[in-house]
Amino acid sequence: MEALLTRHLDPVAPLNLVAYQATGGYRSLTSAFDLKPEKIIGIVEAANLRGRGGAGFPCGLKWRLRGADAPSPRYLICNLDESEPGTFKDRYLLYGGPHQIIESIIVSAFALQAERAFIFVRGEYAKGGNALNQAIQEAETAGLLGTNIRGSGFNLQIEAHLSGGRYICGEETAQINAIEGKRPNPRHKIPRPSTHGLWGQPTTTNNVETLINVPHILLNGADWFRELGVNGGCGSKLFCVSGKVKHSGLFELPCGTPARELIFEHAGGLDENRALLGFLPGGASTAFLLPKHLDVPMDFDPIAKAGSRLGTGSIIVLDDATCPVEVTLNLMRFFARESCGFCTPCRDGLPYLTQILTTISSGSGRADDLALLDELCATIASQSFCAFAPGAVMPLVSSLKCFHDHYEHHVTTGRCPFNEANKNGA
Amino acid sequence: MGKIMLDGHAIPFKLGDNILQTALEANLEIPHFCYHAALGSLGACRLCAVEITPKDSGKAPRVAMACLEPSEDGLKVSVSAIAAQQVRQHVIEFLMINHPHDCPICDEGGECHLQDMTVVCGPPYRRYRGRKRTFPNQDLGPLIHHEMNRCITCYRCTRFYQDYALGNDLGAMRLRNEVYFGRFQDGPLENPFAGNLVEVCPTGVFTDAIFRQHFARVWDLKTAPSICPHCSVGCNTLPGARDGTLRRVRNRAHPELNRWFICDRGRYGHQYSEHSARPLAPRVSGTDTSYHDALNAAASQIKSTQDCIGGLGSTREDLEGNAMLQALLNNLGGIFTAFSDPKLETATIAAVSSLQNIGNAPSLAEIEQIDAALIIGDLTAHAPMIDLALRQAYRKGAKLAFLYSSPTPLAQFATTAITVSPQEMCTELSRLYQLINAQSAAEDITDTPMTDIAASLMGARKSLLIGAIETMTSQEVSTLSKLATALGSDTKLAYAFSGANAYGAALLSPTGSAVAMLEAVEAGQIRILIVAGNDPLGDSRFGTRWRAACRNLSALIVLDCILTATAKAADILFPVAAWTERGGTFINYEGRAQGFATVFHRPEYLPNVARVITDLAQYLGHSLQAAPSVLGDIFSDFQIPKPGTTGSLITAPSLPMPATASAHSIQESCNSTWQAALASWYGDEALASFAPGLMALTPKTVAMIEPTSAIDAGIKNGSKIKLRGSSGSMVLSVRFNQDVATGTIAIARNVLVQLGVGHGDSLELEQVL
Repeated sequence: MEALLTRHLDPVAPLNLVAYQATGGYRSLTSAFDLKPEKIIGIVEAANLRGRGGAGFPCGLKWRLRGADAPSPRYLICNLDESEPGTFKDRYLLYGGPHQIIESIIVSAFALQAERAFIFVRGEYAKGGNALNQAIQEAETAGLLGTNIRGSGFNLQIEAHLSGGRYICGEETAQINAIEGKRPNPRHKIPRPSTHGLWGQPTTTNNVETLINVPHILLNGADWFRELGVNGGCGSKLFCVSGKVKHSGLFELPCGTPARELIFEHAGGLDENRALLGFLPGGASTAFLLPKHLDVPMDFDPIAKAGSRLGTGSIIVLDDATCPVEVTLNLMRFFARESCGFCTPCRDGLPYLTQILTTISSGSGRADDLALLDELCATIASQSFCAFAPGAVMPLVSSLKCFHDHYEHHVTTGRCPFNEANKNGA
Repeated sequence: MGKIMLDGHAIPFKLGDNILQTALEANLEIPHFCYHAALGSLGACRLCAVEITPKDSGKAPRVAMACLEPSEDGLKVSVSAIAAQQVRQHVIEFLMINHPHDCPICDEGGECHLQDMTVVCGPPYRRYRGRKRTFPNQDLGPLIHHEMNRCITCYRCTRFYQDYALGNDLGAMRLRNEVYFGRFQDGPLENPFAGNLVEVCPTGVFTDAIFRQHFARVWDLKTAPSICPHCSVGCNTLPGARDGTLRRVRNRAHPELNRWFICDRGRYGHQYSEHSARPLAPRVSGTDTSYHDALNAAASQIKSTQDCIGGLGSTREDLEGNAMLQALLNNLGGIFTAFSDPKLETATIAAVSSLQNIGNAPSLAEIEQIDAALIIGDLTAHAPMIDLALRQAYRKGAKLAFLYSSPTPLAQFATTAITVSPQEMCTELSRLYQLINAQSAAEDITDTPMTDIAASLMGARKSLLIGAIETMTSQEVSTLSKLATALGSDTKLAYAFSGANAYGAALLSPTGSAVAMLEAVEAGQIRILIVAGNDPLGDSRFGTRWRAACRNLSALIVLDCILTATAKAADILFPVAAWTERGGTFINYEGRAQGFATVFHRPEYLPNVARVITDLAQYLGHSLQAAPSVLGDIFSDFQIPKPGTTGSLITAPSLPMPATASAHSIQESCNSTWQAALASWYGDEALASFAPGLMALTPKTVAMIEPTSAIDAGIKNGSKIKLRGSSGSMVLSVRFNQDVATGTIAIARNVLVQLGVGHGDSLELEQVL
């Protein structure tokens, strides 16, 4: 498949407005403004574009459910707060070509009839954020933003908001609080942000990768988009592969491409003499999959059926020289550190899990610790305030299942076998 | 009305209530931490887990948070379900990971919500084997002790402090299991309602630092329903005492007044009764003596000067004390008034009279519902809880308008704020009255802020006009009342009086009696003055005249529980019981009579004022009726309100509106262009000024002047000026402040007293090089 989303990206020298327009950029505005907003939403729905931020919620449905009669002002938030370990696709989009993002937001905001859009940029992407601001200014000067864009009668103002820099700011309602200048704790989702979001107004949040598909869908049609996928997947997808592979990186491939192809073909496979132990299919907050899942299409439903989540489509590979207990502990340290501190199970439960895992990993775990981990995870996953904690315990719960023998070994022998193997190897 | 099925019991609910509110309303406890009736649901602690069986029979029961689930008719809810119990156990287990388990040395022990919930929910043992997280604590000032390690992160403190009380110097900082509730840096909490953190916190993070200085376990405290004596709002309190000393004061909910909170003056002002200089033994001519000898001395003085006696009650003295003093004076043929300041007397009587005509003042609960208010003067100092009620109205979108002469903290929430010098206040109010009476605010286009105020009051659904009596003249009071009449029945009128029983004192004091008393003393017609709970010699405006006049007395007999200037000068001093040491009745700003009970007795014999007067009458050969029947004679069918009840509005004969021609009492002899204004703060009150904890927070004594008028007069910010009044002079440094009216110098009460000038009086200014 020819690259679609990444075709004109250049992280070293991203295209300016003129160059971007020369590649056909901003053409989708003409298509969009010729259509009624409801019609665009219908096309996006027909294209079966599912959210690329992790949850996979159908984009068109999200837009339609907000309602065309939502009171003004209406807001669109482009979520570019990518902080998931192992995920670096949004960064590539941001640094590679800010005008593609702006174009996507204009047509999406037109579909939603939103008069103000925010791009919430991860704090560490400050340079990209600056370039984005310059691109916004270029677009404003060229009349692509502002009032009555290209005579369509549609007004739009875009602001890039650089995050203070916390993982929780990627959560929809925490992000809304952050943009409002408040402490980024998640909000209760009744009433929903689609009706009571930013400053109490109708607000739609989409991941940046979701949005950049929209201009292509408008230009080429829903059927064309669906057919870009393979094995039942729809559209093009950005996959990140990292961990114990030869060539980690970002790959744009048809949605539904199996992990085997991603890991062994595109990422060059594992080091010589190493075997695959397992992999995380969609970023740190998804469940581990095993070598037997290599041929499952990397698409939302098949991966869910296999017991994990497609998440952000970011594969992290473990080989047989990597201690899965230590990998899990590393992930849990991250989540315990990034908890916003709002609800009890997440705030105090994750450090508790981390503490137990630390003892197991260091060889001082007890036989009943594994059952205790399972017991605590059940409450943390089901009784937390937002989706952060369920995601945080997912790798741990699956790791306890997938790599049970490794945990048992740590507990019964009182040491980590991989440590010794590494020492012997060295 | 629908019903939910809570563990098999049908519990009715109000529409819009959640399951937790429904259960608590029915006195059924669902364990919870972060929910608070005043602060609402949050969903952070996850303790109020209940099992809900969806009405849709196909769905499996699920565990949900009772504080976030709306009550629906027929909804099946179980608190006792095993699944819900397990969640609650896990939540407690998580909270206990870092909690220090220092209950034996924790001040909260015995009234700790965390302790209760842990015992109720379990688990009784801990499994966590790691290290505990620890925090450094902050110095939050003299009133509140900080112990962050005990925190369970329920966010109640910030929700109260920032969202409810609109303070901005305490908040949540950092994240994960290191969320820290405190100030940006050490320092006293600035909000005048900060003390409520002690009660809002479900564990021992914020505890009462004053209580801590002389601590007792809460189960050892003697308590009884009391009424706060520190202002005219009449908040209900629950003082606690042990071993003959008062240890602390807490809020006691009144459904229409203070429901969950009290102000810091009410919580910490009680230290006056434990002050080291408090008179505890009767004193005759400077020598401690017995109660019997003091009565004998007083009786013989009175007998030797027949027909030349005056009785000065007080606005902070209870109804019984004032009425008994009045009864004694009636028997002796002397005159009685409760006011030492004639201006305060006419203003107070004018206010009570206008409330009687227009209708009673709104309760705090009603004030929270208004959508526009006009505020004259500083409520934060004169009625702090009315300030807090107006903050709630502001949160709901009410427009607050201010006319004020000196800084008032509430003005930071103003829609329109106009500084007006004391001497122009009446003119400005009259202009507003004309604007509203003309029914067409548009006519006077040049006068924008004032037309804004008129428009917002006229457009309001429910509005409030309120003024602080101490800084108002009777003309201003009557103009404000005329304004209320002009605005119609949707407008409520209220006054923040000076003194817990000012309303009651006004009902007992004939108009003009204060000036008559002062003149009689000056003329030597009164030779014996009995003062109960008043401080004429320490008065700012009339202190000079009183001090001179009192030299004519053959005996100054004082009954008080604090060592005022008057008590110091007394020939015969009867120390009396403080408010927590006696029962009595106060009439609050609404006209609500509320009873308070004796909480405890000190080891010393300290009778109340009514007792001393009754005994004195007996030594004089008169027999007075008991206070209830004396009051019954004055107010027909008056029943002494029972302490612990909500009280009832007093029915009293209508007071005549005082003649408003007393403007000449403003000193015009002085040709200075500067006027004095009272710079008040919330700790500034007769009793509370004997509370060391609060006094440690007293603002620096400076002369606050509006920058433009200061610069016009060649005065620099930070420079020194000498102020001169009728009784003295004082050098102060200048502090520019936009919230002071033009041509006005705002100074603290103790400075006014020292200079011998009142609010609105002229004073002389001289630059010091």
